[in-house]
Amino acid sequence: MPHIFAPLTLEIIVLILGVFLLLAESLAKSGDRSWMGRWGVAVLAIVFGWSFFTTGDSGSVFYSADSTALFFKRIALLSTIGILVMALEFQTVLQRFIPGDGKGSGTGEFFALPVFTCAGLMFMASAIDFLLIFVALELSTISFYILVAYMRRQNASLEAGVKYLILGALGTGFLVYGITWVFGLTGETQLARIAQALPLQLAPGGRLHGSETAILFAVGLLLVALGFKVAAAPFQLWVPDVYQGAPTPVTAFLSVGSKAAGFIVLLRVLEPFVSQPVLGPKLVGILNVLAILSLAYGSLAALPQDNLKRLLAYSSIGHAGYLLVSLASLNPAAPDFAGATRTIGFYLVGYLLMTLLAFLVLTIVSSQSRGDDIAHFNGLSKRSPFLAFAMVVAMASLAGIPLTVGFYGKFMVFSAAVAAQKFLLVGIGIVSVAAGFYFYFRVIAAMFWREPGEQSPVVVSGLSKLAVATLVAGILLLGIFPGPVLNSIKVRNEPATASLR
Amino acid sequence: MSPFLFWFFALLMLGFGVSVVINRNPVASALSLVASFLCLAALFVGLNAFFIAVIQVLVYAGAVMVLFLFIIMLLDLRAEQRRRFNLVALGGGTLVTLGLVAELASVLNRFPLGRNPFPPLQGSAVDDVREVGMTLFSTHNLPFQITGVLILVATIGVVVLSKRELN
Repeated sequence: MPHIFAPLTLEIIVLILGVFLLLAESLAKSGDRSWMGRWGVAVLAIVFGWSFFTTGDSGSVFYSADSTALFFKRIALLSTIGILVMALEFQTVLQRFIPGDGKGSGTGEFFALPVFTCAGLMFMASAIDFLLIFVALELSTISFYILVAYMRRQNASLEAGVKYLILGALGTGFLVYGITWVFGLTGETQLARIAQALPLQLAPGGRLHGSETAILFAVGLLLVALGFKVAAAPFQLWVPDVYQGAPTPVTAFLSVGSKAAGFIVLLRVLEPFVSQPVLGPKLVGILNVLAILSLAYGSLAALPQDNLKRLLAYSSIGHAGYLLVSLASLNPAAPDFAGATRTIGFYLVGYLLMTLLAFLVLTIVSSQSRGDDIAHFNGLSKRSPFLAFAMVVAMASLAGIPLTVGFYGKFMVFSAAVAAQKFLLVGIGIVSVAAGFYFYFRVIAAMFWREPGEQSPVVVSGLSKLAVATLVAGILLLGIFPGPVLNSIKVRNEPATASLR
Repeated sequence: MSPFLFWFFALLMLGFGVSVVINRNPVASALSLVASFLCLAALFVGLNAFFIAVIQVLVYAGAVMVLFLFIIMLLDLRAEQRRRFNLVALGGGTLVTLGLVAELASVLNRFPLGRNPFPPLQGSAVDDVREVGMTLFSTHNLPFQITGVLILVATIGVVVLSKRELN
């Protein structure tokens, strides 16, 4: 029965918010558009609160409302709120690079589009049918194409937009081709029914007996598409240029929202296939290779970077590697997807907090120093001790220092890998953590031991101060008490009500 | 479908396909592609797949190819220079093609579903447009509605990225 706490209500409110912002923007007098960002933050915060009261099932075969879906929806909502706060700080930079006559002109859609992206990410979190997976993924990807190229007077942004569009379209091609193969082989698009049908069809006498290669091919195509989405090597070629060229809030959104939604889809898609004894070992082997490549590429290529956005782009590839380690540690004989979901969910919450914090500080500093190189952070401790402290927390957590949430996430990933006796993965992981210490601490060194280029103090608005303080508190609190978040993802494939009680 | 019609349209389609590659004038190439799509649509009609045939004409021969032609005309492409054949490239290309065909053949041969003839299709042969509509508006309504949002976002994108400078 539809009621106001039905699961789909969350997405419906978000979509209504998006359409409302667009309409209000066209009817409002020209001028400052910050009110759109504040409206967005307020309504999305209400939806975030609302999500804790969601009960019942959607009754749709496309859409799951289990606690995992709700958990990843909250990640999408929180990252969108963070991105809108960042977009408010980013307005002055944005205004310089878009055509427009006067303050606020042309910036309206920059606040409305992330809301639609958020709806797409939320649908991805719930999608349990390839049709909905495809539509939801495209909704988020297409709005990303626009957002990446938004600053169209800046060549870097346009270049990033074109690169993302072409490679994204290629990724979509792989996804659709993979889906058609799966449908052609199994005759199903619903993941639950694929999971039921596969063992029968693969058994001797079944129609797919002996056709394992074809299924591996199909899953391989899907892995290419989803690997692109989560920025895993060797599908990472687009990442550095797109991250550097895109407007900074969009970069943050790409690295947090897109990755989180990509991983929940990856988990759901892989589950029916990895559970098959004839496919599992091979798929886990592929995941191993992806994890090793992402870890090595992300951490080694980040070493010589001087631009902080580019550095964070490589770091995003590296973190995709850590997340893949937990998938590669699955035991094909008895894959523990609930455990992997828990590890990935917790890691992503930590990643959300620290990445948003790093990008928020970067947005504030770069819009007042006119550049996003590490050199622009020189002497930040003198210009704004508050921001410098926040950045230390973000970098320490990204590197994985104990007492931060980043440490606990990495600890869970590595303990899963050790339990699965994947010592090669652990070894490469430790090397990349060590490399991470070097490049994250370069930023800290610049803030504290270099002389500032400009002396003027950095001004921080009230809303951003609140956001920075919340993120710092979140990183430190979850680093010490990870329990509440971990418990909220304990149950998988159970109705959301179960986790409420 | 009568074998004669199948071979007629199949060969015509392949002929136009070759002409897409051989033609040096981009407009002629694009029009050959349209003709090739139309022949493919005729093959679908022969299989009683009227809906796919109509979609093939509307979407591919109509929308996609018109877009191609627009772009060709906007870019003002001239006929390509006739290049001399590079023997090494030609030989290499042939080798790659043969290798790919051999690989595909060996994979398909090892894969039982590809060897056995496909069972004849059953179910509704009548009025597949109605069936598609029913599916979209009843069981598959959720993805269909999200597609609506997707198109809205794409429209916003076109406006945002292509509007003229306002000064």
